[in-house]
Amino acid sequence: MPGYSAAVLDRMRNPQRVGTLPESAEVGTGEAGSLDAGTFARIQVRVRQGRIVEARFKVFGCSAAIAATGLVTEWLEGASLEDARRFTAERVVEHLDLPAERAHVAGVAVDAARQAVRDAGEKAGQQS
Amino acid sequence: MIYLDHHATTPVDSRVLEVMLPFFTDLYGNASSRTHQAGWVAHDAVERARKQVAALMGADAREVVFTSGATEANHLAIAGVAAATNRRHVVTLVTEHKAVLEPVRRLATEGWSVTELTVPSTGLIDPAEVGAAITPATALVSVMLAHNEIGVIQPVAEIARLAHNHGALVHTDAVQAFGKLPLDVHALGVDLASFSAHKVYGPKGVGALFVARGVEKRMRPAVIGGGQERGLRGGTLNVPGIVGFGAACAVAATELPSESGRLAQLRDRLWQGLLAQVGDVTVNGAIAPRLPGNLNVQVAGVEGESLLLGLTEIAVSSGAACLSADPSHVLRSLGLSRDAALASLRFGLGRFTTAADVDRAVAHVAEVVTYLRATSPMARAAAGARG
Repeated sequence: MPGYSAAVLDRMRNPQRVGTLPESAEVGTGEAGSLDAGTFARIQVRVRQGRIVEARFKVFGCSAAIAATGLVTEWLEGASLEDARRFTAERVVEHLDLPAERAHVAGVAVDAARQAVRDAGEKAGQQS
Repeated sequence: MIYLDHHATTPVDSRVLEVMLPFFTDLYGNASSRTHQAGWVAHDAVERARKQVAALMGADAREVVFTSGATEANHLAIAGVAAATNRRHVVTLVTEHKAVLEPVRRLATEGWSVTELTVPSTGLIDPAEVGAAITPATALVSVMLAHNEIGVIQPVAEIARLAHNHGALVHTDAVQAFGKLPLDVHALGVDLASFSAHKVYGPKGVGALFVARGVEKRMRPAVIGGGQERGLRGGTLNVPGIVGFGAACAVAATELPSESGRLAQLRDRLWQGLLAQVGDVTVNGAIAPRLPGNLNVQVAGVEGESLLLGLTEIAVSSGAACLSADPSHVLRSLGLSRDAALASLRFGLGRFTTAADVDRAVAHVAEVVTYLRATSPMARAAAGARG
């Protein structure tokens, strides 16, 4: 298949961590992108003691969008909130070897992740 | 891999290949060589093939001009007529193949007036609309007989009648109809019609233009040098390809009566399967009249490119080209949104497609669409909307 790396195609055809987490005080939700723009991603994280213990995603978009959101969700699981804030779109593009015309979807995935982490952080702050 | 892209191309039938092979090796003469046996054998083989090709389209053998394929045939029809007339207007449809639209649009850059008629969501043109667009300045009307993407069959006979009332010539790209539908170019009333061998289980690189008797006087050749093919197409004839084209037409003529019905049944089985197992699918274009082996559907709730790349076990064509942001101009002109056009699949069933192939294809599409819908954050809303 022209254009996409094996990393993209594998993640697109066998996505891991697809799903939703029921809303709770320890779950943060982030959404990014828009249907009009062709990519919409939602990422959720469950945070316990400053560490992400579970992450799930849903995404509407091209193969690169599915792969990028899946990759970011994989990175999130097990990461500290501090580490999670440092994920960059560039790293996603590099890891998946995304073609230039699809690089923007990495930004959507990372934005959704940051919002999820921020949401979880705010909820944790409200509790303390 | 289940191949369901027979509108794009077909495999060479083994019966066809067998007939072609000697013409690559032992029988390599030039059909234009008149001074020895090798040339005579090649010439006779070409003329036999010409009769076989003519028979499948209902033409006289003398009305068949061999070309390198349908694109060249379309080009010869359009540029050939344009070069020999004082009229300066051409009428066609926005849904035509690029092999018609591009030569027509080139005429527009040369000072021609071009009318590209739009079609409703059925994809079918009202002949009266074509008739209304034709003026005394109209040199040529070109309308595809059976559509390569959505399979709909246009009312070409009625269009031809209206065009002839104004003295315009009529061309049809009959590539997809050929060998799939009973065809009689004289009854259809067209002056010019394009055909391709590789869509009818013959080889690539050979096609034909039907040029009704006398119409050659209203054309100029597009390729000159040698005077072959009634002076309309210079160049050494592709003897093995032409022989294969003839053999492919002979096989198609024998099988067409039963094959047409078989393909229509398989196509209906495919549609029923998609409806039941995938759900939220819509046929693009009128369901009838349509080519028996064609089904073009849009799939709701999925993104086009990931759908196409997810379908690893079947070969189908999509409203999207990989990594291309441009959806099919045909589907867009039927009124589909960009996203709906991108999330459309064209199934083209063929001679070697079985009911088991169709069932496996349906199951595979259902599996991929199900997981893509499950991956989508909108799936729940879509399910809710369905009630």
